[in-house]
Amino acid sequence: MMANNTARGILKDNLWTNNAIFVQILGICSTLAVTNKLENTLIMAIGVILVMGFTNLTVSIIKSLIPRKVRMIVQTLIISFYVIIVDIILKAYLPEISRALGPYVGLIITNCIIMGRAEAFAQSNKPVISFWDGITSGAGYMYVLLIIAFVRELLGFGTIFGMNVLPESFIKWTIMVMPPSAFFMLAILIWVFKGIMEKKEAK
Amino acid sequence: MNKQGKLYTIIFTFIVSFVFVFVLAFANDVTKERVEINEKLFEVRAFLNAMDIVYGTDEEALDIFEGLTEEKIKETTLYSTTVENEKIYAYRFSGNALWGTVNGVLAVNEDVTRVIGLDIISHNETPGLGGRIEEKWFRDQFRNEKISENGISINIGGDGDYNHENSEFDSITGATNTSQSMKTIINNSIKKLKDLLGSDE
Repeated sequence: MMANNTARGILKDNLWTNNAIFVQILGICSTLAVTNKLENTLIMAIGVILVMGFTNLTVSIIKSLIPRKVRMIVQTLIISFYVIIVDIILKAYLPEISRALGPYVGLIITNCIIMGRAEAFAQSNKPVISFWDGITSGAGYMYVLLIIAFVRELLGFGTIFGMNVLPESFIKWTIMVMPPSAFFMLAILIWVFKGIMEKKEAK
Repeated sequence: MNKQGKLYTIIFTFIVSFVFVFVLAFANDVTKERVEINEKLFEVRAFLNAMDIVYGTDEEALDIFEGLTEEKIKETTLYSTTVENEKIYAYRFSGNALWGTVNGVLAVNEDVTRVIGLDIISHNETPGLGGRIEEKWFRDQFRNEKISENGISINIGGDGDYNHENSEFDSITGATNTSQSMKTIINNSIKKLKDLLGSDE
């Protein structure tokens, strides 16, 4: 659980000790889906960070007004509100990116990390710190996804951010392009990160 | 007022929904024009790319597009222009792929023996997999591709077939279904164009 509620404590918690992906195993759906290209992953993660930050902020501001019975419905409403806003902005000002991401933007709504943070943190904390919690949770999500995407794009396409880095003779790993490889990559990452954690604890 | 009571809950939910939906509707309305322009531009660029016409800025693209001849043959609108003494036709197609409709443009020469080019306007395929149909390497496989009697055929595997005499293209790895659908869509379009341009004997 939360060690302390200072800005630094939250940062450490969300990036490492309580990371949404490899400790809480949340948001796996998008981890599996978007990570075969770094570019899509990065944009998706930025979208998640923004939505999560503002959702937490909003939930925290109006939390004392929300009746307990409809708490979850209101949270979902707020999340979808920001997701649609992101979608509208992308469509109007960054049409190329909006096209590349296609249906993924809408799927941010179903990312359980966002609702998880709104329920676990924003419901019981002050607005500014809740916003920070949302942003850092998103950052924790982003770097794990980028690591996975880096390996998948490199081995699957031989590229990094669309640029060729491996020689022509390199045989591309088709499996890395397909969703199953995200399972393998994620499992390996969890193994490595947990290993490091346990070593630290043992000391 | 009791915040856990039924009345408060109903009023609160109503107000919250109203406020958020109102803001969304407003945002949608404000950006509507821009989104429409963007969509129009996607379409214009797709036509020019398919017809292998080079353009610089978006304004230039729109200007060139205005300059194309619009022809209506048997209720179907085709755009045509003359490049190096050869008349080429562009057809806006629409067909079903794995997840939804693919809209795009297919350009052919006058006697429908060669594809001039292909471009995608919109699709709902999986980003990173089927969504790669809009990537340049995939589209470039069709540039000046010869059309055989059976249209264009597909090769599963490989990463790009740039032999433009063999009437074949390579599928996208991990997106065989979408690639197969593209083959069907393209061949249907070719058939339609042959019918329209009257070279079907």
